[in-house]
Amino acid sequence: MKPLVVKNVEMVYQVPKGDSVHALSDISFELDGGRMLTLLGPSGCGKTTLLNIIAGFLAPTSGSVTLGGDEIVGPSSERGMVFQQGALFEWLSVAKNISYGPRMRGQKASTFQPEVGRLLDVVGLGGFGDKQVYELSGGMQQRVALARTLANDPEMMLMDEPLGALDALTREKMQGLILNLWNDTGKSIVMVTHSVEEALLLGDTCFVMAPRPGRIEKVYDLPFAERALTEDSRKIKNSPEFIEVREEILSFIWAMEEEIMGREMA
Amino acid sequence: MIPATAATLADDTVPSSGKRTKRSDNKTVTFGDAGAVRSLPRWAIAGALFALLTWYVTTRAWGFPADFKSTVEAGASDREIFRLCSLSSECDVDSYTQIVSPLTFPSPRDTWNAAVGLFADGYQGITIWTHIWSSVWRVLRGMFWGCLFGIPLGLAMGLSSRARGFLDPMVEGFRVIPPLALVTLFGLIFGIGDSTAVPLLIFASVWIMIIAARAGVRNAPLSKVRAAYALGASKPQLLRTVLVPNALPEIFTGLRVALGVSWGTLVAAELFGVKQGLGAMIQTAKNFSRLDVIVVAIVIIAIIGVAMDAIVRLLESVFIPWQGKG
Repeated sequence: MKPLVVKNVEMVYQVPKGDSVHALSDISFELDGGRMLTLLGPSGCGKTTLLNIIAGFLAPTSGSVTLGGDEIVGPSSERGMVFQQGALFEWLSVAKNISYGPRMRGQKASTFQPEVGRLLDVVGLGGFGDKQVYELSGGMQQRVALARTLANDPEMMLMDEPLGALDALTREKMQGLILNLWNDTGKSIVMVTHSVEEALLLGDTCFVMAPRPGRIEKVYDLPFAERALTEDSRKIKNSPEFIEVREEILSFIWAMEEEIMGREMA
Repeated sequence: MIPATAATLADDTVPSSGKRTKRSDNKTVTFGDAGAVRSLPRWAIAGALFALLTWYVTTRAWGFPADFKSTVEAGASDREIFRLCSLSSECDVDSYTQIVSPLTFPSPRDTWNAAVGLFADGYQGITIWTHIWSSVWRVLRGMFWGCLFGIPLGLAMGLSSRARGFLDPMVEGFRVIPPLALVTLFGLIFGIGDSTAVPLLIFASVWIMIIAARAGVRNAPLSKVRAAYALGASKPQLLRTVLVPNALPEIFTGLRVALGVSWGTLVAAELFGVKQGLGAMIQTAKNFSRLDVIVVAIVIIAIIGVAMDAIVRLLESVFIPWQGKG
């Protein structure tokens, strides 16, 4: 898998009334292929903006983003995106949603059909191919979204709070699924999440970002994702070392949130 | 490459809701839930009966002349009445006027009798079915061209700010003009008969379809558009596979509104030189003071309108089964 290189990325939004918002300030990092990066931070810290720049949906004001040496200039099927919800195509069946990418590339049904069946099994939706997406629960819809992205065999999977709309139990199960997909496919994953626990468990690297201007405040290299592949994730989440990092990040984010609140009140 | 990790998360894979069965949804929330607001047949019948009763009571209160009623009951057409009047010594033009002149609102029974007569003998030497079909065909042609021009223009307006800027003043300006105000001008431009009627019906529907299609595109969620691009779709593919299907609910709503407005424009559209059609029938009947014929035509228009709307709604459930379930 190709390495992602983000170099001196700046993002400034012009808003009406002539003001500008400094959404990202001088972001630079390198991510080796096959890593799982999680982005954490208070609202407004630019983590979704950063993800959208990597996806190619937004062009940075300055700086460059390259994947395997190639400059990212727009969205591409080598960087699949999983959204929080509502990005599935309701007018297509589950199987047709999954085969969307291959069909857009003009692949023949005989080529992608076996792959669709296999992906349905991979995400635990075997036999659901002919269902309509609006007949599925929220968790199942996110499974379809994952499978749809995998069908393109991308270099990298980008996830914008993919589990944010799910209930706690489904969320934990889906975390297990994402971990397994990451391990089995070896694909790079960049995931934005609001859950500190999720960011620590899934990310082998975790950036904690800070707002105004949006920047990477802290970088954690974490052992928990590797461990979760073999150990019980509940046990990991209750281990002292996990709790220590979690509390550190939580109090850090809390302090930032309170500073934002204070500034907005003033 | 990816081994199946299925079955690990089995109970999440049970569908939360099964396929919707007819009316036994066991829903407790029926207010504001579009899926539940399905008009029940017994309520539809009650509504129709209420309308009929109101009609009957008001016309009874106003009264209607017996001779007028019996003339119509006999199934006589205007021409026959007029011929009888001119032949008979007792029935001169004055009494003809007496027979038909009381301009009271026809009661349900008058209308029923007139309808029986019309369906048996036709009107103005043309069968009622020809009148009906002429109007339906006119409305369908108007809707067809209205959609053919309106939907692509609306899609273009939703997609391109240039198209939006260029077309917006025209659309906003034209759509408020009542088609009735344009009958004379259209008559001058296109000539009399269908050559005016159909353009007028196109004019009635095209703006509605433009606005509907435009709204449908503008309502496309950003996440769907981005998802399609990130899955490798090109712009034309995005349009075909995401934006158009996503706009279907709005387009169908526009279709229903445009159908209603088209029928509303029909009488004006058939004002000049149209011999066949329900609107033309109303014009002629007006000249003969045949209020009962007018009411029959109105009721027929209402019934066809309801039937056409039902067909569009049926198409809606076929083409956009996901509506309201997202």
